[in-house]
Amino acid sequence: MDFKKAVKDFWYGKPHTAEDGGRRLGENYLPKTGLYKHREWRGVKDTFYYFHNIWMYNYLHMVMDVMKYGGLVNFAKGVWRYRWVGQTYLPVLHWFDRGLEGMRGEALRGSAWHYRAMVNATIYQFMAMFNADTRLHGGKKNDAWYHTMSMKETVWGGMFYGWRDKFKAVALEMIPYFVTCHVNSHTVHNYIDAVQSIGLPGDPCPMCQAEAGLFVLDDVPDYSPFMITCNEACDGSVGTAILQDWFNDKPLYALQMPMIFDDPLANKFVQKDIEKCWKFIEDQTGVPMNFDLMCEYIERQNELQKFEWEKWEVAAKTNSYPINGVAQALYRIYQSQFGDLPIWHEVDGHVRKIMERAVRNKTNTFPNTRHRVIAWSCAPLYYSNWCTWAYNTWGLNVVINMDSLMFDMTIRTDSYENMLEDVAQYHMWAPMRRMAVGGIHHIFELWDYMERFDCDMVAMYDQLQCKGMQGVHGLFEDEFRDRNIPAFWIPHALPDSRTVSRAEIRRLINDYMTTVMHEEPLDPSLLELDDDFTW
Amino acid sequence: MKKFIRRALCLGGVTYAALFVVFFFDLDGKLLFNVVEPFLKNHYDNMERKDMLTTPYDMDKFPDYKYNEIH
Amino acid sequence: MRDLKHLIYFEDLLQEANNELVKQAKAEGKYALGYTCYFMPEVLLDLPGCFSVRLRAPRCTSPDIATYYMSARVCHYGRSLFERALEGGFNFLDAQMATETCTVTCRFQEHIKPKHLDSVKDMDVIQNDKFFCEFTDVPFKNTEADYEYYHDQLKAHVLTPLHENLGIDVSDKALKEAIKQHNEVCKLINEIGDYRKLENPTITGYEFHVIQLVSLVCPKYLILPYLRETAKEMKTRKPDEKWPFRCKVVLAGSENDDPDFTKLIESCGAEVVCDRYCYGAVETRKPITIEKGETPLQAIARHYLSTSNCPRFMPQDEMRARKQRLADLVKEYNADGIIVVSNKFCEYWSYERVIDTIVMKRDFGIPVCSIEKEYINTASGQLRTRFQAFVESVEIKKIQEGK
Repeated sequence: MDFKKAVKDFWYGKPHTAEDGGRRLGENYLPKTGLYKHREWRGVKDTFYYFHNIWMYNYLHMVMDVMKYGGLVNFAKGVWRYRWVGQTYLPVLHWFDRGLEGMRGEALRGSAWHYRAMVNATIYQFMAMFNADTRLHGGKKNDAWYHTMSMKETVWGGMFYGWRDKFKAVALEMIPYFVTCHVNSHTVHNYIDAVQSIGLPGDPCPMCQAEAGLFVLDDVPDYSPFMITCNEACDGSVGTAILQDWFNDKPLYALQMPMIFDDPLANKFVQKDIEKCWKFIEDQTGVPMNFDLMCEYIERQNELQKFEWEKWEVAAKTNSYPINGVAQALYRIYQSQFGDLPIWHEVDGHVRKIMERAVRNKTNTFPNTRHRVIAWSCAPLYYSNWCTWAYNTWGLNVVINMDSLMFDMTIRTDSYENMLEDVAQYHMWAPMRRMAVGGIHHIFELWDYMERFDCDMVAMYDQLQCKGMQGVHGLFEDEFRDRNIPAFWIPHALPDSRTVSRAEIRRLINDYMTTVMHEEPLDPSLLELDDDFTW
Repeated sequence: MKKFIRRALCLGGVTYAALFVVFFFDLDGKLLFNVVEPFLKNHYDNMERKDMLTTPYDMDKFPDYKYNEIH
Repeated sequence: MRDLKHLIYFEDLLQEANNELVKQAKAEGKYALGYTCYFMPEVLLDLPGCFSVRLRAPRCTSPDIATYYMSARVCHYGRSLFERALEGGFNFLDAQMATETCTVTCRFQEHIKPKHLDSVKDMDVIQNDKFFCEFTDVPFKNTEADYEYYHDQLKAHVLTPLHENLGIDVSDKALKEAIKQHNEVCKLINEIGDYRKLENPTITGYEFHVIQLVSLVCPKYLILPYLRETAKEMKTRKPDEKWPFRCKVVLAGSENDDPDFTKLIESCGAEVVCDRYCYGAVETRKPITIEKGETPLQAIARHYLSTSNCPRFMPQDEMRARKQRLADLVKEYNADGIIVVSNKFCEYWSYERVIDTIVMKRDFGIPVCSIEKEYINTASGQLRTRFQAFVESVEIKKIQEGK
């Protein structure tokens, strides 16, 4: 035994290298389950950072958040009533583990804060649902029920800023469906199967299937007197709205998102529709939209956007960006879709300090980067942490992704007209719209972003049931070939891990890296894992 | 007093060490995976649920919300 | 029944997009304008000097190259159109008037559109120097603001490019002329179609399907004489003494331009008496009326948004009213049931079909047969079994009700 090396490994953690004595993260797993024989030893400093500042801190704050946003009783009732919360949110620390595996130093710290923010936002939302839910309160419509608005998860939360002082706005499927897939991929299968059991074919987008399936399985809280729906992002969302309206059976306003959103005529038209939506809310709540309040929250959100731009600058121009691919993607889409919340500001403050320190010290946050990767199109929700695996195994550093780049604007508040115009634009640049199902030229903005973020490789998501992206599959193949750009495809079915397993995704990347790129793995123990049953 | 402090420190130390053991050996994950989740799944699978296909679908229940007057 | 005089000719016209009448109109100097969706007002493409062709890809069973570009996981219709375009079958088109009213037809049209971008190559699919493709954005609702928007869209993305690129007269006078011609087609088709309401109909669903399709894919001014003659012929057409079918059905659902599908249903004993699907006559052949104070274009915009039954429409009242309207059609056409069909991978109709299947039966007591099919049907054996079983169940219901 090399005592000196053992001490060094204990103090610093084993090195990230394929050579003998390097770390072998794959050996930490128990077969099939994705559970760890033991969690990773990251060296004294990072292991105890993880233990104190991530594991203990987040468990503690989860309890505190629950108490702060509605209390343990409501939480317990919700857990007992709804599969999506009980089955999903208890193993949330394992979601951290998967996303932060192998991370060290500033990258570990910066990424973990993003996770913390998402957990807080999630608890805020499901507790808001539970506080108002008639099903948890003996069928009684309490004050919270009258003061909570529900909307489809693809409607931007900022639409409701004008009522923030009196009402909460909670997306109907964001927590029961979207976030669950990341944390515990098994839950959503129940909802997909449920909607297919009433005759829906298996081919529509599984996200839309699951959104409707929640209702079929009677697993949607009754927390609001009305609902705002939307055609974003695609035909499947429109179809889902048909079933949801039936099962929800409440006043519904359909907010439009023009398909050809670049048309100058479209913005004015959407402005009118947004105003009508606000009128609908005023009618339903009896409370007028407060323009000053709207502006106040928009300004707060603009601050978040400005910091996001700073982050992009660091990601594009330095090696010191302290956020890994999965944390970047999930935090950004969550924050920009939900709208302003205090936790985003708190976390951005922490991340700013970490990032500035990393830049100041010229810390190479992902020192084993072999390729700077841009991930394009819609990601697999059940394996959003594939990029953590890809960095650990192959040195593929996912610097930026398409979803992060969607709401790329601030909103003016100097006049009602300017505010409305920008809100309309923001609404139209929603996830899966601007670059996925929207106009064809936006989809191919990929090349510009590759250059901007100094990327040399593309991870091309291949959502098998997204008609919009499938419809341009061959053009991407041709362009990759013509431009001589290394690109690998990641086939998946958004939330449904049964269509393409995680192991299959890894196998495809492994094949590409060995047969096309002729590279050797950094951690051979991660090449093949049996994690079929993992969350 | 000294005894109390010593005891408190001991208890704190033991708790800390126990928590670290839970953390390092992923005992929280193992408990949730092997005990809590199967129990809850069993509960959810056997819950009485409303047959949503009996939900009424009234043609004229809701107004049209056209808001033609807003321009 | 005696064969319709022009039926075989009509069938021939449906064998390819660039049919005899299209060629004749082109030879006469008219511009051919392709479109795929109801929301692209056919009447605007039938202005003097041009004519509309609703695109089909008959007999396209293996869209191999299109599948490379669009994958095998999108609707066969969109892929078949693209394959036909790649084969040169749409080179006669002078323009494609596009809509993104469903994702896959949008992608087909984006592929054939000359994009002039650095970021993605032009495929140069349509070998016609004049060819251009222009997209119109279509709203999802039918309020006043939607009419206005749709009106402005049609002006900016249909009339203006037609005038600027092809020199088409888009004046109100020309629009009124097009509406007049359109209404005559509607009147004739409805006249012919109304014979399906008879107790013993003097026209089959298949025959009507063929006639309706030729009215969509041929230049109106060239097909009109044949339609007039057929309408006249129908006045004296005698039905078979014994009605050859066992029940009557409304066929509702997604894109269907395959008369053989209607024939398949009828061969199982169910006469298709009403066609409420894309390419069907229920919506497309409603005459356009210009209300007092309206311009022709305003009337057209209002007409197309107010007559559509497409599941793409999202207002709550509209989503629910569609089911009532379907039930009303069953009554109007004396049908015994509904066959709801969605094309595989059609997302709108996948969902609409589910709710139709459950609600029409539960709330209206109408038997429903729910089918998923491909654009070109190869699984006719399976479908035949389904249809036969449905016909039997309808018959049993009728016996139980003492009819």
